[in-house]
Amino acid sequence: MKTYVGSGDRGRTSLLSGERVEKSHGRVEAVGDVDELNSHLGALIAALPEKQGKLREELQGIQADLFHVGAWLATSPGSPSLEMLQEIGPGHTKALEAAIDRIEAALPPLRSFILPGGHPTAAWAHIARAVCRRAERQVLRLTAGEPAGRLGSVIAYLNRLSDYLFVLARFCNTLHGVTDKVWQK
Amino acid sequence: MTIPSSGTSLASPFTTELLRRSWLSEKSFEIELSRPATFQFRPGQRIRLLHRGLERDYSLLSRPDSPRLGLCVRHVPAGPVSSLLAAADIGTPITFTGPYGYFIFQRSPRPPVLVATGTGIAPFLSMTRSGVAGFTMLHGVRTTEELYYRSDFGAAASLYVPCLSHPLPGSALPPGAYRGWVTGYLREHLPPGAYDFYLCGRREMIRDCTLLVDERFSDSLVYAEIFY
Repeated sequence: MKTYVGSGDRGRTSLLSGERVEKSHGRVEAVGDVDELNSHLGALIAALPEKQGKLREELQGIQADLFHVGAWLATSPGSPSLEMLQEIGPGHTKALEAAIDRIEAALPPLRSFILPGGHPTAAWAHIARAVCRRAERQVLRLTAGEPAGRLGSVIAYLNRLSDYLFVLARFCNTLHGVTDKVWQK
Repeated sequence: MTIPSSGTSLASPFTTELLRRSWLSEKSFEIELSRPATFQFRPGQRIRLLHRGLERDYSLLSRPDSPRLGLCVRHVPAGPVSSLLAAADIGTPITFTGPYGYFIFQRSPRPPVLVATGTGIAPFLSMTRSGVAGFTMLHGVRTTEELYYRSDFGAAASLYVPCLSHPLPGSALPPGAYRGWVTGYLREHLPPGAYDFYLCGRREMIRDCTLLVDERFSDSLVYAEIFY
């Protein structure tokens, strides 16, 4: 099976809502950021120890959510195509909050800034967190000056996901016996 | 841009059985599967057949309330799934997941132009059977023999144009037919304007039509379903 089509060879692509846009369009940028975030999660999952099956499943669930986030970002406001999309709503954000609370309960309290890094799995989580923040900023640019509408739930989800990835990075270090390195001013 | 499929890859499979098969041309046939009670879909969506570790997507021909699920299959002799479907006994169990896809007809002020090549006609048949009407339909095939389902579009389409790329020498073209590719018809006969294009078929057609839209119909929308 060939994966290429070639309809984007001249720098334009199609949104899910049908418009043909430049590949530098803000929606395409946002989808690209979410795709990059998802790929970093894939790298993190690949580096997890075999016995972390539940964490792997949790992260793969987030990867599936991010596909739906991408679909929302690729659909223009007011398009009838919005009706086809699976909601990314408060329930998804609440699930992340519950996961954050669960992970944090297993971590020592944090009283200082820490340097991103440590065990490779923690480093992947930090990279994913930073890309998640960038994706969030790009979505905010899409909604600048306008009501966020149904993208409001996506913004909240990405905001909470970056928090989740921060505590996950700390958890990955704890899991591997690595102490987070505190920032020395 | 990569667009995710609706539905999830973790979807539970449905088990159904082959109820009927009828050949439409030398290389293409239609099958009907029993419909699992909980299976729902929208016109234009597809299902994924699972067979010995292989997966093949087929668009549904049926109305969403039909008791049977129809598929249009092009028989690829070296293709294990289409060969199974071409030869399987009636009653053979078939497993699938779905529905998938965002290839759904959208109401719009722009005139719809539906473009299919070969078995890419399938989702448009489901849409038409579900009440979609008033569109221009281009069906690109090699010969007249492959213009199956032509009569299904007679009442629904404002204009139905068979586009024959390789008509048999000496054979008469059907009424209103265009000799050539669908892209040729679009370039030569579709008046300038903004349309909603629905493209379903081989990737070469999708590519060529999309680039043509960028050149000549730039305020249009493009919805595409690619047959790999």
